[in-house]
Amino acid sequence: MMTSGSITVTDLVVHYGERAILRDINVQIPHGQWTCLVGPNGAGKTTLLKTLLGMTPYAGSIQDRSQEVFKNQTRNIAFVPQSPSIPQGMSVSEYVMLGRSKKDGWGKESKKSRNLVKEILVQTALFGMHNSFVSQLSGGEMQRALIARALAQEPDLILLDEPTSALDLHHQIAVLNNIEILKERGVTIISTMHDITLAAMYAQNIIVMQSGKILLSGTADQVIHSPELKAAFDNRIDVFTLDTGRPVIVASKDFPINSQ
Amino acid sequence: MKNVSAAGQTISRMWNWRITAACTLILILVMGAAVSFGPIHISFQQVLRTLLDLPSGEHGENRTVILQLRLPRVVLGALVGAALATSGAVYQTVFHNPLADPYLLGAASGAGLGATIALTSTHHNIASLLPVFAFLGGVLAVLTSFFISGKFFAEPNTLLLSGIAVGSFATAIQTYLQQRHSDALRPVYSWILGDLTSASWSVVSWSAIYIGIALAILFSVSKQLDGLMLSDEEAFSLGINPQRLRIFAVGAATLATATAVSASGLIGFVGIVVPHLVRGITRRVTNRSLVSVALVGASFLVLADLGARTLLSPAELPIGVITAFVGAPFFLFVLRSRRKANF
Repeated sequence: MMTSGSITVTDLVVHYGERAILRDINVQIPHGQWTCLVGPNGAGKTTLLKTLLGMTPYAGSIQDRSQEVFKNQTRNIAFVPQSPSIPQGMSVSEYVMLGRSKKDGWGKESKKSRNLVKEILVQTALFGMHNSFVSQLSGGEMQRALIARALAQEPDLILLDEPTSALDLHHQIAVLNNIEILKERGVTIISTMHDITLAAMYAQNIIVMQSGKILLSGTADQVIHSPELKAAFDNRIDVFTLDTGRPVIVASKDFPINSQ
Repeated sequence: MKNVSAAGQTISRMWNWRITAACTLILILVMGAAVSFGPIHISFQQVLRTLLDLPSGEHGENRTVILQLRLPRVVLGALVGAALATSGAVYQTVFHNPLADPYLLGAASGAGLGATIALTSTHHNIASLLPVFAFLGGVLAVLTSFFISGKFFAEPNTLLLSGIAVGSFATAIQTYLQQRHSDALRPVYSWILGDLTSASWSVVSWSAIYIGIALAILFSVSKQLDGLMLSDEEAFSLGINPQRLRIFAVGAATLATATAVSASGLIGFVGIVVPHLVRGITRRVTNRSLVSVALVGASFLVLADLGARTLLSPAELPIGVITAFVGAPFFLFVLRSRRKANF
């Protein structure tokens, strides 16, 4: 697995119809590290994530290992959506096994894949419910099943769209710890996240977006302590540092809610 | 620790194999019974002897009844049932909608309009081309739905809505034509309810070719259809081109549906009832057991046709009445049970 180099985005522009969703995006996303896209709603985080996947048409260039990413299915990527489509009548182990489809071929299962899926089910605390239908899982369990499927893919790059949204704090940490397994294996992780405190806890790099543009990017430490971070959220956030040195970012209580 | 993953897969594969074998056996028995029963009862053994061309088999009139009347009708029923049930299962997967049926994109309304044009035409030789008109009507309606939806299947819901609009438009023209030609009301009505009385070896042979091609395509992509149960982004990351696969699958399902409709009229509910029935029995995602869906669909329609021609014998009920009689309550049952179970 390659851990050096980066995904290079140059002069990226993405339109939905007449409307430009992303403009003038120039950034380098290092391989083998966790990079988090943060920003207010409508900033273009999810669009950038889907464009990096290679499904969304764009102007400009996105080079990953010297290859343009658009419609390039030779890359080994796992994608974890914010709102997954839940297949009816599919068991958890079958769902996780889908992650092996590209390697084994659709409808085929190698012995290696079966052993790997079993390991992953244990790792993600899904082993006891492997015969349950995915449609019967709770929100937190479903999120773990999505991560388990991504782990089964043994990807070089994983893209996660708000992996912790709609989860309580306990489940957020459980899911992020599962994603961290991939980080330890040198997989490139790119995720969108609303909670900047959690982003700073787990990601090495943070990209701050606003209105379809990148406002700020750098290491998590640089970005969190940068004055531009508050500007990205229209000065509606406060940054505190705990005694442990860990930063905590919260919505500013003093800011009038109806002020735009 | 139990090796559940591996054992589970082996068990499910054996289970699938046994289900398929059982469905095949049931279809053979049902087809045998359907050839055997009728106004002239011929024993199952005699049917078998005649089919195997043994000297002890039937001769004369009974042989003609078996080989030229009942057998083509039973085979056509099996083909149509397999086509509608498989197409229904594929549509349900592609549209993420358990209540989708093969007529969703306007195939039924388009075929109905085509058939009505043929039946109301002043040129008598056109009426004999009814299957061709119905086939073209069904295919044209689906193609129109595709083109009107704009992005050519980039958004399944838009396609679904344009299918409903095209279907309504075709039905409106069909109703207008029926009003203008009231003498054609009865044949059009009879065709809409579906029947297999026009079955002949000629109809069976061209239906078998188109339905065979369509089913072969659908069976060959059945495993990849798992990917269409996910979001497009997830499917893409798993190596699937979701848009291309959807076009491929819906194209083949439409070919099967249009052929079935042109051979037998509009037979409703098979496409909904059978996939749910198979899913209930196998507890498997339907696109993973498409062969079983096809076999059960074939048995279901052959049985429905047997009921249609024997329940009020010597009169015949339209086959659509039988399938709807079973299908409508089942449809309501599915609606209710889906609220209770997550399956």
